[in-house]
Amino acid sequence: MKNKRSITLLQKTSKAFILISVLLILFSTPVLYFFISKLMEQEVEEELYSRSYRLEHYATENGQLIELPPVFEIVKTPRLRPEILKDTLIYDPSQDETELFRELSTFRTINGEIYRITVRSMVVETQEIVVITLVYFLISLALVFVIQFYFSRAWNRRIWKPFFRNLEAMQHFSLQAARPVELVDSNIVEFSELKTEIETLTSRVIYDYNNLKEFTENISHELQTALAIMQAKLENFLNESAISDQQFEELSNLQRHIRRLANLNKKLVLLATLDQRQKNDYQEISLNDLLEEMVINFREISPVEIELEKKKNLTLFSDPELIQSLIGNLLSNAIKHTEGDGPIRITIDHDRLEISNPGDAELEDAERIFRRFYRKNERSKPGSGLGLAIVQKICEVLQYNVTYHFAENRHFFRIIFN
Amino acid sequence: MKILIAEDEKALQTSIKTFLEKDAHVCETASDYEEALYRISLYDYDMVLLDINLLNGSGLDVLKQLKKSRSEAGVIIISANNSLDNKLEGLDLGADDYITKPFHLAELNSRIKAVLRRGKFGGNEELQFQEITIQTRSKTVLVEKRPIELTRKEYDLLVFFITNEGRVLSKEIIAEHLWGDQSDMLDNFDFIYVHINNLRKKLGRASHYIQTAYGSGYIFKSA
Repeated sequence: MKNKRSITLLQKTSKAFILISVLLILFSTPVLYFFISKLMEQEVEEELYSRSYRLEHYATENGQLIELPPVFEIVKTPRLRPEILKDTLIYDPSQDETELFRELSTFRTINGEIYRITVRSMVVETQEIVVITLVYFLISLALVFVIQFYFSRAWNRRIWKPFFRNLEAMQHFSLQAARPVELVDSNIVEFSELKTEIETLTSRVIYDYNNLKEFTENISHELQTALAIMQAKLENFLNESAISDQQFEELSNLQRHIRRLANLNKKLVLLATLDQRQKNDYQEISLNDLLEEMVINFREISPVEIELEKKKNLTLFSDPELIQSLIGNLLSNAIKHTEGDGPIRITIDHDRLEISNPGDAELEDAERIFRRFYRKNERSKPGSGLGLAIVQKICEVLQYNVTYHFAENRHFFRIIFN
Repeated sequence: MKILIAEDEKALQTSIKTFLEKDAHVCETASDYEEALYRISLYDYDMVLLDINLLNGSGLDVLKQLKKSRSEAGVIIISANNSLDNKLEGLDLGADDYITKPFHLAELNSRIKAVLRRGKFGGNEELQFQEITIQTRSKTVLVEKRPIELTRKEYDLLVFFITNEGRVLSKEIIAEHLWGDQSDMLDNFDFIYVHINNLRKKLGRASHYIQTAYGSGYIFKSA
């Protein structure tokens, strides 16, 4: 979506309007020019015929030949010929230039004599009329388009207003708010329908989401309760019965599996409810202090060495429980996947935290390691398979950036806090 | 001590009762919201273990009622719900502690005793076992009245042992008590051995109270 160049609806409609306007102008101007020219030409010819006819009649009736060269002249001619209509250039002494004229020559018998009647009309004037008409046409067309453009933009904005309002409402819609989107109605049928559809859809989503949440909570509750009973009974059994060493081992082992289930359940619930956490629980957290404390704890139980390097002081304003879970999971992950003595290295810089552990080769499908229940290989040590998924989810919720890379024979997990 | 166990899950209720009665506590039980309200209105308890999800009502409302009647009882909330909101709400309402299911009874026992110590003696109580004295406020440990230096974990371990005297504690239980969630990342708990050994060394002549049970568990007792 980011790669595609996008454009707003109003821009799009405006663009279409401008494009159509330009095409219309480009097309209509030559047509108009051609049309008017033709019309003017016809008019000129009509005038020439009319003038020629009047001259002929005048001469017939009065027996007198009127001449006003170069506009009209009558000359005797030896024989009748078909009429000639042509353009001609004539010198105009008043303007000291040659002008284009249209010329009609007809041959008539007046009072027994054959005459050639020539009438001329200046074409340049009609040319000017054409140009003026075109200019006027273009100006008014442009004016109409400009007015139309702004008007339709304002109009579109008005028409689409409910759409944009509802779009904004949708963008602010959150499942956690658990209340339906508030949309504005419109007298436009499609928008009204869209509104109804969105409302139905969102209430459906909210309903399903709440159902799922309730389901998760119920399952979690039922599981925890059953596990608690098993745990308590086992413990009483261990204390009250005479059992053998081997039985004790087996029962302790059972306790461990109960614990594993409980942990798995706890983590699944955490994953399911992570994005419902409230920001009011946020507080200032010194990552340096927190890590110092956690590393002490981890060193006591870790078979591998843990080094902590604090380059800068890093203070976060965040959810302390999540931050602790984030780091705990990364550290557990590093400890679990270290062969040999380590060491695990933790580096705190001004905006980032890096945790690395030695390894043989880069993980093959690095993008899959953050998935739930992803196992690197068969010999991976048992774990919930949720640690890194939780890490990623927490980073997503807190808007941190977590990445994995392999360098200098070490697996690196880097979190950049923004 | 008189303890009320308000828990709607009968099996769990019975198990807790059995476990606590070993320490000569008097335990009464309530299986739903009404019964819990009824009991706290009739009797005074030193300690109330309160499940949040009670039949017909919320343990938090029982807690409110307790606080309204100015009860002196210590309150520990038991919940299957791990959400921080619930924890904070419970603690804000005046609960003394919060424990999430599933828990080890030894852990619950240890917490009960911690709450009782704080409540009855203003935080200055001493834990006494034979020649071992623990001043819980200053976190000092005296063996035959001579102070010994313990690390934080060794101290916690000793308190855990003494509060669960005479009971078998597996390595898992101890690891969980001391390291909480972090302990579940490891598949063997041999590191516990190191801590127990260190504690034994520091206890000197009193070290024989820590005994091995069934090969891989521990029990703290005088005989």
